[in-house]
Amino acid sequence: MSKIIVKSLKYKYPLTEALALNGLTFQIERGEFIGIIGRNGAGKSTLCAALSGLVPHFFKGAYGGSILIDGINVKESKLSDIARKVGIVFQNPFTQMTGAKDSVTEELAFGMENLAIPKTEMVRRIDDALRLLEIENLRDKNPFELSGGQMQRVAIASILVMLPEVIVLDEPTSQLDPQGTEEVFKAIKRLSNQGMTIIMVEHKTEKIAEYADRVMLLDQGQIVAFDPPAKLFSLSNLEERGVRPPVFTRVAKGLDIHDQVGLYPVTLESTVNEVQKVYESH
Amino acid sequence: MNLIEVRNLHFSYQNDHDVLKGIDLTFDHRSTAIIGQNGAGKTTFVKLLKGLLKPVTGDILVNGINTKETSVAKLAAQIGLVFQNPGDQIFKSKVYDEIIVGPRNIGMPADEAENMTKRALEAVGLGSKINHNPYDLSFAERKLVSIASILAMDPRIVILDEPTIAQDDPGKQLIKDLIKKLESEGKLVISILHDMDFVSETFTRTIVFQHGRVMIDDDTKSVFSQTDVLREAYLEPPHITQLGNRLGYSETYLTAEQFVNDLLMEKKLKSNIN
Amino acid sequence: MTSISLYVDKKSIVHDVDFLTKLIYCCVFIVAPIITGAVILGTFSFLVSLILIISAGALKKLMPIAALSLFVLLSVIIIQSAFIQGYHDVLFTIGPVHFYREGLIHASSIVVRFLDILLAFSLIVLTTHPADMVETLQRKGLSHRIGYVILSVFQIIPQMAQTMKTISDAQRSRGLETEGNIFIRAKAFLPLIGPVVINSLIGTRERAMALEARAFSAEVKHTYFRDEPVYRYKTPVRLILLLLLIVSIAWRLL
Repeated sequence: MSKIIVKSLKYKYPLTEALALNGLTFQIERGEFIGIIGRNGAGKSTLCAALSGLVPHFFKGAYGGSILIDGINVKESKLSDIARKVGIVFQNPFTQMTGAKDSVTEELAFGMENLAIPKTEMVRRIDDALRLLEIENLRDKNPFELSGGQMQRVAIASILVMLPEVIVLDEPTSQLDPQGTEEVFKAIKRLSNQGMTIIMVEHKTEKIAEYADRVMLLDQGQIVAFDPPAKLFSLSNLEERGVRPPVFTRVAKGLDIHDQVGLYPVTLESTVNEVQKVYESH
Repeated sequence: MNLIEVRNLHFSYQNDHDVLKGIDLTFDHRSTAIIGQNGAGKTTFVKLLKGLLKPVTGDILVNGINTKETSVAKLAAQIGLVFQNPGDQIFKSKVYDEIIVGPRNIGMPADEAENMTKRALEAVGLGSKINHNPYDLSFAERKLVSIASILAMDPRIVILDEPTIAQDDPGKQLIKDLIKKLESEGKLVISILHDMDFVSETFTRTIVFQHGRVMIDDDTKSVFSQTDVLREAYLEPPHITQLGNRLGYSETYLTAEQFVNDLLMEKKLKSNIN
Repeated sequence: MTSISLYVDKKSIVHDVDFLTKLIYCCVFIVAPIITGAVILGTFSFLVSLILIISAGALKKLMPIAALSLFVLLSVIIIQSAFIQGYHDVLFTIGPVHFYREGLIHASSIVVRFLDILLAFSLIVLTTHPADMVETLQRKGLSHRIGYVILSVFQIIPQMAQTMKTISDAQRSRGLETEGNIFIRAKAFLPLIGPVVINSLIGTRERAMALEARAFSAEVKHTYFRDEPVYRYKTPVRLILLLLLIVSIAWRLL
């Protein structure tokens, strides 16, 4: 059974005219890693907000269609109930800290306190999350004294302890330095390996190509394509949609290196292999 | 001629430990990327160039003027700094009004100020949005507003702190073209960046900062050929450079186009020999 | 980035006392001297609080508070002893100003009362973790939304100060003069304050979303990660305090 079933989802922000989401229908299976790409304004963040219930419970506006997550209807559920199913992580690690807690452990406990989780259970989940994200050494630090990459991992951990089945990440690394970006990607990869469903908006197509099982390309609030990375990045009109394929794919396209069904390599490894095949047979 | 000279620059915020530990650099008109880990001192360095902070020891000369002996507002006509977060400056309710603030502050004649404002708006592709409220625009567009507001003051030196944050590919392309255009007009663009692919495609010169010191300072190609040193600074070469390295090419590739051209050439040569 | 909380993180017998007991202490040591009207009792209360603060190792943080209030106290003394009509007994004279004995006595009783209140409150603030205060109140029924607002202020105000600094830099970078005469400063007001307001509004909205994602509005009785501070001698101490209050009332009536 699909984990997430979205049917003709439409949404318009208050005081605007254009539909931010214009008839999305798709399904996501349990444990998939989904990348969402597209130009600014394509509807990526709005889709994240819809999957996590912020649309329509935090942002009002006109809503049509439905999202079912694990059998619960997002539109008809309360935000705090949706939060148990879906966690969301935003771009700016800074505004995700509560500002009311002065250690990382207490910061992580915040969501569980709201859900009335007993203390012993909190401690267990916090230990698990700290270990999984490799931030055990930060447990007693003040959240605001951390680096961007560390703070963003704390933000992810603070969602993780609520044991959601799906984590939605809206450009979680765009404000981080290369090291912080790498730390966060590794952490997300580990979550994915543990069987968690990951939905991630990201401009870095090289990363998406490496990590995602399937990639959704949005434009003007609609799905242009929703395919495995190799198929999606092999499409010919991506630039018109405001997306540059991974540099590896651009190289392969330039060299006309593709498989029998016309798919280009999209990751460093596959491109190295394919180029070697062609250029060493000469 | 050197537009900026930095001599034996040391800086610390609270006399405890030095954020910058002895920097000697000169800048000519070549576009220059500054890369390095967070906390390496990059932002502190550009604030010093701009005169927002003053050296503890050492001197900075901008167009021959020592930053210690002038005010930030007076330097504004010479050197512009675009902050990382556009929200740190925008206070007008129309894009046009926001951008003309700088030219007026530095006492530009009215018609020239209007002219420069319009040109700056065209340069960042916001010509059609001059009457919008900046806060109705996306974050990426607001960033372009803040870039335009500096360009409109027509400074000889433009510093950009993380210009590509939140930009999509068309936005990055626009900023890349803009930097190249400014360089060709003889202006100096200095930019702090985390996106190595963008650096390799855009900048002539690259400086690597680590722990308050300059670790490498060279043309971009030479910098990205020093894989081991980069790794020490927790940086990775651009993806295309990595591809070239993995395939065993001695050439340090900076763009996909260059890589493709070379390989096609190689193929052609080989087939001619055969 | 630090918190603006005045809490001194140490271990001491005063730190061990729970927030409610301290609150009772505070009330009794403020109310009792007022009820009895005895300056000597006020002085005694004030000294007890001072000794407790010293034994908690929090004297250093008390200094800035004391220095600030010194200013107020000095003006009280001057006004009370020199500028109130109807006193006769001149104690000493500085220039054209006469200082009266009755005034000084009256001023000293005000000063004692003020210091008494100040130190009793300082004792609580300096030796109780803000989260313990708020959580104690929440356990007694304070809404968790209000509790959050109180706690977040400690960290968010220093952040706003940081933002102000950045904004000032960004505007100066565009040639805005922020220093000089009153006219120049007035002109710089809008460019400085505008972004601060908008920034904090945007920050607040983002933070509100992040809080919602962590079930902030869940309608259940919360649990607490911090252990409820338990004070072993809570009952005897509270009883003694209560007794003190009764004695002071009795003293007044007799």
